[in-house]
Amino acid sequence: MTTERRPDRATSADVATGSDAAHPSRRSFLQTALAGGALAGTAYVALGRDMSAFAQAGGPIVIGQHCELTGGFASWGYWHNKCGAAAVKLINEMGGIAGRKVELVTEDTESNPATGTRKLRSLIQRNGASFVVGSVHSGVMLAAIPVATELKTVYFSSGEATEATGEKGTRYSFRTGTDTYGLAAAGAPWAFKNLGKRWTIISPDYAWGHSHYKEHKAVVEKLGGHVNDPIFVPLDAKDLVPYLTKIPQDTEVLFSVFFGALSVAFYTQAKSMGLEKTMRMYSVSGTIEAIAPADLKGAAEGVYIVENFPRMAKYKDDGFHRDYLKAIGTDDVHGRETGSERVNAKSHSWQNWENMFALKQAIEASGWKTKKDDKGVIEALEGMQMANALGHPQGAKTLRKEDHSGIIDCYISRVENDELQVKTKVAKEDLAAMMPVRFDLSKQAV
Amino acid sequence: MSDVVLALAINGLVWGLIIALIALGLSIIFGLLDIINVAHGDLFMVGTVGGLAVTVATGSFWLALVLVPVLGFVLGLVLERVVIRPTIRQAALTIVTTFGLSMMLQEAVRATYGAQPRRMAPPIEGTVPLFGIDYDVYRIAAALFAALALAGFFLFLQRTKLGTWIRAVRHDPETATALGIPVARICGITFALGTAMAALGGVIAAPITTVEFRTGVDILPFCFMAVVIGGLGNLQGTVAAAVLLAVMEGVVTSVSDPTVARIVSLAVMSGVLLFRPHGLFAGATR
Repeated sequence: MTTERRPDRATSADVATGSDAAHPSRRSFLQTALAGGALAGTAYVALGRDMSAFAQAGGPIVIGQHCELTGGFASWGYWHNKCGAAAVKLINEMGGIAGRKVELVTEDTESNPATGTRKLRSLIQRNGASFVVGSVHSGVMLAAIPVATELKTVYFSSGEATEATGEKGTRYSFRTGTDTYGLAAAGAPWAFKNLGKRWTIISPDYAWGHSHYKEHKAVVEKLGGHVNDPIFVPLDAKDLVPYLTKIPQDTEVLFSVFFGALSVAFYTQAKSMGLEKTMRMYSVSGTIEAIAPADLKGAAEGVYIVENFPRMAKYKDDGFHRDYLKAIGTDDVHGRETGSERVNAKSHSWQNWENMFALKQAIEASGWKTKKDDKGVIEALEGMQMANALGHPQGAKTLRKEDHSGIIDCYISRVENDELQVKTKVAKEDLAAMMPVRFDLSKQAV
Repeated sequence: MSDVVLALAINGLVWGLIIALIALGLSIIFGLLDIINVAHGDLFMVGTVGGLAVTVATGSFWLALVLVPVLGFVLGLVLERVVIRPTIRQAALTIVTTFGLSMMLQEAVRATYGAQPRRMAPPIEGTVPLFGIDYDVYRIAAALFAALALAGFFLFLQRTKLGTWIRAVRHDPETATALGIPVARICGITFALGTAMAALGGVIAAPITTVEFRTGVDILPFCFMAVVIGGLGNLQGTVAAAVLLAVMEGVVTSVSDPTVARIVSLAVMSGVLLFRPHGLFAGATR
């Protein structure tokens, strides 16, 4: 089927690649969707309707979404699910992937690695998912990768434990966002230079926290700094005072890595002990994901945070970003959901949106038809360039061939008057230079 | 070093008093109804969420401190009638029932209030120097609230007619029935009292910890440890065990890792189960 391109209308490929035709300032979302539908050959497109445009051979492409709808990561999982679903809706409105409709099947990992692996098998074996956009929970994703590899299915992680694209990575595991290796490379040199040279790291006692400790210690010590013994906090801790009293008095930078309830407990109790008066507070976006600084009633004021995607839209100020926020229904300052108090886990949840478009790009580039063509998709993903576009609103990025890691722009922000104000941007090119390849997954057999 | 030991011991005492309030509710429910209430932590969670909701709506933490336990009492009456009474005296079944209740409470809060964790600002702000650390003034106030509530509960149990009836039903329900005490109603009131105490503990603890739908999950094991060490159904023993465990964990933490402190607590509980299966304070007044 050939399509005639009209200059005032975007194709789905434009959205994925960032062509001018897709620039959101030229049309609203609805218009974009209608345009895509028209180009696919339908007389009209009704939102949510099972479209006849998907009559091509091969039937729908089933994509699995493996996310944390309940359990400790539920406040993040809500957004991962919402972003993935919104991306699939948009892709279908614009003609699907290679003319085939996308069917999204979502399973709840319950924020539990054992449940997560069981649900992953269900996604692939029962629901027939050809690709899986996966978990943000490091424990779940690390447990999922061997299963996805066993079942020969491409799995996108969105958690940060570097092992997913490192020693525990496989040819099938990819990650468009950052990991602990990347975050340490992006933020630690700046924090070392601007905040202090004697560090203490306090983090939860599981894969994510340990991974951050290892990567940050390596960077800080390489720069000539000193890192005290880590303080690992059990995930079930409620009273953090016994842990906070362990922080050495000579600490200049307190690097905290928490999520969800532990984040709130940490900020609350650290503030009540006045720790910010004697040391600089530094963290990564996970610590304040799905939480508005305003909801912490000043407890996070002054904290420096490495963001993967600035919460305030003005710091990545383009139409793609603003239309993406419109599509997922959040404001451009606090990341709050329209009509509710929920706050977007913005530095991570974009991956569920973008991974759908990354798959679309790889499938269409490789000519994938069935599972036997997976090798082509994997090869297309390895080293894939993604342009700043509505499909990739976080910005242009590379999925590095060797370690399957996303090389992206990062931002170092500070909480000021309950807003995350960006202080500096670390460009993806600089990030790539600071994180040399350590693993080559591309040499593994498919 | 000695300063840190003292500071963490005092912090343990403070935290132990709050835990005691919650564990006491667990213990009184078991003592009277033979119910191992797996949902008790979630009733504490409902207290934290209710405390924040009332504080935000009215601007008064003090109103929440009064209103939420009252609402908790009413919730307890309803739950006892609808969920507990049909399975009463069937211990194994009540574990399943209360586990289901736990999931329902969590999911109800997640669905309505959302999954995002929140902070409740303390009504009293500031720190006081305490053996080398700046200690949160509100924690001291919270410990006082908890101690007052505990004292009030024991006074109620000893000095009021209703308290006497509750003790009588716990001691011998058949004789209490023969004497005309409305046993079914006393069971309902006791469950409601336990729920109110968990809710009160939630309001008191909310400014210290986090308000979210899973807050109760992690607090329950420590409460169970206090109940087991104190002696199942032994109210004074439960309070003493909660405080002792928390102080002990504080002291061990000052010289070791906090995780080691928790291991020590578990070892103590195992020792008690092995050598004094009726609790460390078996024989004390029930």
